[in-house]
Amino acid sequence: MAGAEVKIEPAGGGPGGSLGTSGDAVREAIARADCGEGVVVLADLGSSILTVRHLLQGKANGHVRLVDAPFVEGAVAAAVMSSAGQSLEDVARAAEEARGASKF
Amino acid sequence: MPASSESTVALPAGVALHARPAATFVKTALRFRSRMTVALDGKVADAKSILAVLALGAVGGTELRLTAEGEDAPDALAALSSCVSGLVE
Repeated sequence: MAGAEVKIEPAGGGPGGSLGTSGDAVREAIARADCGEGVVVLADLGSSILTVRHLLQGKANGHVRLVDAPFVEGAVAAAVMSSAGQSLEDVARAAEEARGASKF
Repeated sequence: MPASSESTVALPAGVALHARPAATFVKTALRFRSRMTVALDGKVADAKSILAVLALGAVGGTELRLTAEGEDAPDALAALSSCVSGLVE
């Protein structure tokens, strides 16, 4: 949908593929996704949110943004905005606005 | 002076406004500064919001009403109309 130019980097699961979150996997995914204009991070719930917040602690310059958005809808909205060349601010806002979107 | 324009265009037969065509539609709208809407059966969606456009549930052959408001409204509307006519599955 968004085209090949938008990098979507999954980082699900704990170390060894178990249920949970791996800080290393998340950090590496953020690095892969970063093309210089910023990164929007979507987390599902629980430890994934705690992990991302921990990773971003102390480097809150806004370049990597954890958004409060539904996982699937937020990712779709963000990816389309990003592929259209919109700013990090607008990409993050589109993801967060997905919270209020009806499916039909 | 901001202009506003409105037009009606039909989705090609057999092409629903599902995820990929809707993404093409929204990306076209995002190229312009004008505010744009797309409406169907009384439901109005922001043409620059993929989720709003998807929620219209437009099926192939449906008439869509497009509006644009802003300095580049005529160009925006022309581009969006031709985008809709040219959508493929």
